[in-house]
Amino acid sequence: MRDWSYVLAGYGITGAALALYRLELARRSRRAHRLVAALTGRPTPDGRSRR
Amino acid sequence: MKLVNRVLARTGSRGAQRLLGWATAVSLLATAVLGLLVVPPDAHQGDVQRLMYVHVPAAWLAFASFGVVFVASIAYLRTGQIRWDRVAVSSAEIGVQFCALTIVLGSLWGRPVWGAWWTWDPRLTTTAVLLLIYVGYLSLRRVADSPSRRAHWSAVVGVVGFVDVPIVHMSVVWWRSLHQEATVLRPGAPTMAPGMLATLLFATVAFSIAYGYLMAVRTRVGRVEDRAAGTILSRPTPRAKVPRRAATPAGTPAGTPAGTPVGTPPSAEDTSPASALGLAAYAPRGGGDA
Repeated sequence: MRDWSYVLAGYGITGAALALYRLELARRSRRAHRLVAALTGRPTPDGRSRR
Repeated sequence: MKLVNRVLARTGSRGAQRLLGWATAVSLLATAVLGLLVVPPDAHQGDVQRLMYVHVPAAWLAFASFGVVFVASIAYLRTGQIRWDRVAVSSAEIGVQFCALTIVLGSLWGRPVWGAWWTWDPRLTTTAVLLLIYVGYLSLRRVADSPSRRAHWSAVVGVVGFVDVPIVHMSVVWWRSLHQEATVLRPGAPTMAPGMLATLLFATVAFSIAYGYLMAVRTRVGRVEDRAAGTILSRPTPRAKVPRRAATPAGTPAGTPAGTPVGTPPSAEDTSPASALGLAAYAPRGGGDA
């Protein structure tokens, strides 16, 4: 039973680390899009990059 | 190079990223199901051995990430194209995640098996050094005051730092170690039960998909951040408003106060928006930008 706590902690940490990094990237992307929109006066809708 | 450019362009599209995102979620979930519920426990270590299905792929992907940093750094040093720097830093960031995960998962595995969370074993120590090298790589990028210098310095660290990867891999052979020797990446056949080996390889594929997905997202974020920084720097600054009567010597960039030598770094009194926002490292760079 104690072994399972280590195993579940390991799998949980793995999933959480990957998910948190993905969320951090989304936050950085939104921030950069907002900055570009504020400076250029042209909104980039919903953080989508314009090509 | 053309193939790499094409792959980067393809994975940069929103549709491809969404597909990769779903593939990542499904494959990681399948890895968890296989590793926790399907594969039998190890005969000696019991259930705690199930950590292998995340610990080992995380380590391999950390090595692969740093390998990409190595290749992209060489490509940057050869071509000077900033896109290679962006690939390198993206891969370094993800590699640091995987390397830290490797150490944490190894610690969780080591506690019940070795009786210690951490020991100064050659494999563990060299892995910790590897993590520190690439944390240093990312820290260095915050120190450099110009994009080209930042890219150049970090490319050199990206090439030199990779030397530790083969040392980590060979540490269990070269020195006496608590850590087990390689069971898959070794001369001869893998010394592992087929079911366990198949699950491990599946988990590695799942982690590779996750790496590809995170790389695609991170490089896109890097492009947007660079564009934001470039937009800030391209705005007129108070210093740019030089009175017309102040004669500008020939060869001096427009907007530079008279008498300022070309290439003079910003002074402590720099009041540009980029400086105010702490984005001095982002200067617009011509040619080769993705």
